[in-house]
Amino acid sequence: MIEYIDVWKAFDVPVLTGVSLTVQTGEILAIVGPSGTGKSVLLKTTIGLIVPERGDVKVDGVSVVHASRAELQAVRRKAGYVFQYAALFDSMTVYENVAYGISDDECKSLGRIEVLRRVTEALEDVNLEPRYVLGKLPAELSGGMRKRVGVARGIVGRPEILLYDEPVTGLDPVNLAAVDQLITEIAHKKGVTSVVVTHDIEGVLRYCHRVALLEGGLMRFVGTPGQFRESGDELVRAFYDRKVAAEAARALTATPGGYR
Amino acid sequence: MSPVRLVAAGIRVFGRGGSHVARHTGGLGLLAWGSLASLAKGQVAWRDILAQLYSVGVQSIPLVMVTAILSGIVTSQQGGYQFTSQIPLYVLGSVVTESVILELGPVLTAVVLIGRVGARITAEIGTMQVSEQIDALYSLGRDPVPVLAAPRIVAGTLAMPALVGLANAVGVVAGIVAAQLSVGLGPDSFLYGARLFWNSYDLFYSLMKALAFGFVIPLIAVHMGLLTRGGAEGVGRATTASVVFMIIAVLVSDAMFPPLFLN
Repeated sequence: MIEYIDVWKAFDVPVLTGVSLTVQTGEILAIVGPSGTGKSVLLKTTIGLIVPERGDVKVDGVSVVHASRAELQAVRRKAGYVFQYAALFDSMTVYENVAYGISDDECKSLGRIEVLRRVTEALEDVNLEPRYVLGKLPAELSGGMRKRVGVARGIVGRPEILLYDEPVTGLDPVNLAAVDQLITEIAHKKGVTSVVVTHDIEGVLRYCHRVALLEGGLMRFVGTPGQFRESGDELVRAFYDRKVAAEAARALTATPGGYR
Repeated sequence: MSPVRLVAAGIRVFGRGGSHVARHTGGLGLLAWGSLASLAKGQVAWRDILAQLYSVGVQSIPLVMVTAILSGIVTSQQGGYQFTSQIPLYVLGSVVTESVILELGPVLTAVVLIGRVGARITAEIGTMQVSEQIDALYSLGRDPVPVLAAPRIVAGTLAMPALVGLANAVGVVAGIVAAQLSVGLGPDSFLYGARLFWNSYDLFYSLMKALAFGFVIPLIAVHMGLLTRGGAEGVGRATTASVVFMIIAVLVSDAMFPPLFLN
């Protein structure tokens, strides 16, 4: 379980101003909201990449804010993080990048063949052909492929928690659907707790258990996809209608022969 | 502007400067301590150190040699030009040898390292910072200090004395050749002059400088890289600031060497 308790964070201006939210074990929770409202900041506080100025973040009862170095390492080992722009290591091959998602101790105990098998499996899960990409450097891959390698690195360590920071941004419809499917499968089959920060509202509403709207530094709505769609709250309505209209326009322009 | 406002502005500038200095000093201290501690704990991979040694040391050899040859030639020619009246010409041997070993070898090699290695390290780590690769390291349970900082700092500290030793030797040989060609001072007379005022401690002094510069340059480069914010423009800004910082650090520490070690 992940608990965000009255989280405050400011950079030059306040970003999070008292966010509280609980993510249950095995749940898929989507965090949506306009750009620049601190969705990624909130996600990063989960594993201590950003430390809140006030409040606390607890992962399975362990306070990330007050954790010792060893406790924080344990929390990070428990969680996989999929970065917005993949954040692959430029000097490493795809194999090395994905294998880096397995801890050193586990790598030693698994042995090289098992590590290779796990890496191959993770790449296949994200719809990549291992034989084609294993030896390539990130610079030799397309943006969508890099993104999928980032997802593979996030899942290869078989984490209990997966944090996705805009996992489908920049993906074509086929791979977008594949990643959505993957998030659902991982969460459902393996009981992985998933927090998905996304702008793909329609996509995420199809598979998430609950959706949270972050706006103006506060949680404005937390509920099921059905409640979100039918909410009478003006803010939720305005955000949802605008997003759906924007996504529909994008889908239309992306369809061959569609309106341009 | 009223005197009160002027004083307030002065205090503000002083305070901002002080906080800036304190932040960098603290950051550099923690980074140095973290690197040494991770090295002592055996957390630094030898493979990473060797890769950095190749990049910092071996790949710097051509440029270090060119710089050393030119510094030896220029010192010899200019010295020879000044010594053509009253002073015996063989003194040129001592002037060139001491200038190269005490000052030009270590400082010019440091400048080469700043431009070739320091700037690259800051740009590389800065790019990793702005593209969330450093965050990715943390998220994967890895600490950037043993993975990124320590191998570069160790490699710089080990490679620099070797590079300075090479620069000293090449610079003196170039000086001998230039003295022969420009003022007609033969190698025997040059070496006679060099031996006349030679002190073995000077070589140790030169290598101490090399160790200090070799430690400071990658330390500052990594520190500035980790502080990078704000995309490609931020990387450019950080790299420029890093080069300025490294040059000032090298020149200031160079100025501190004579009063501390040449008395």
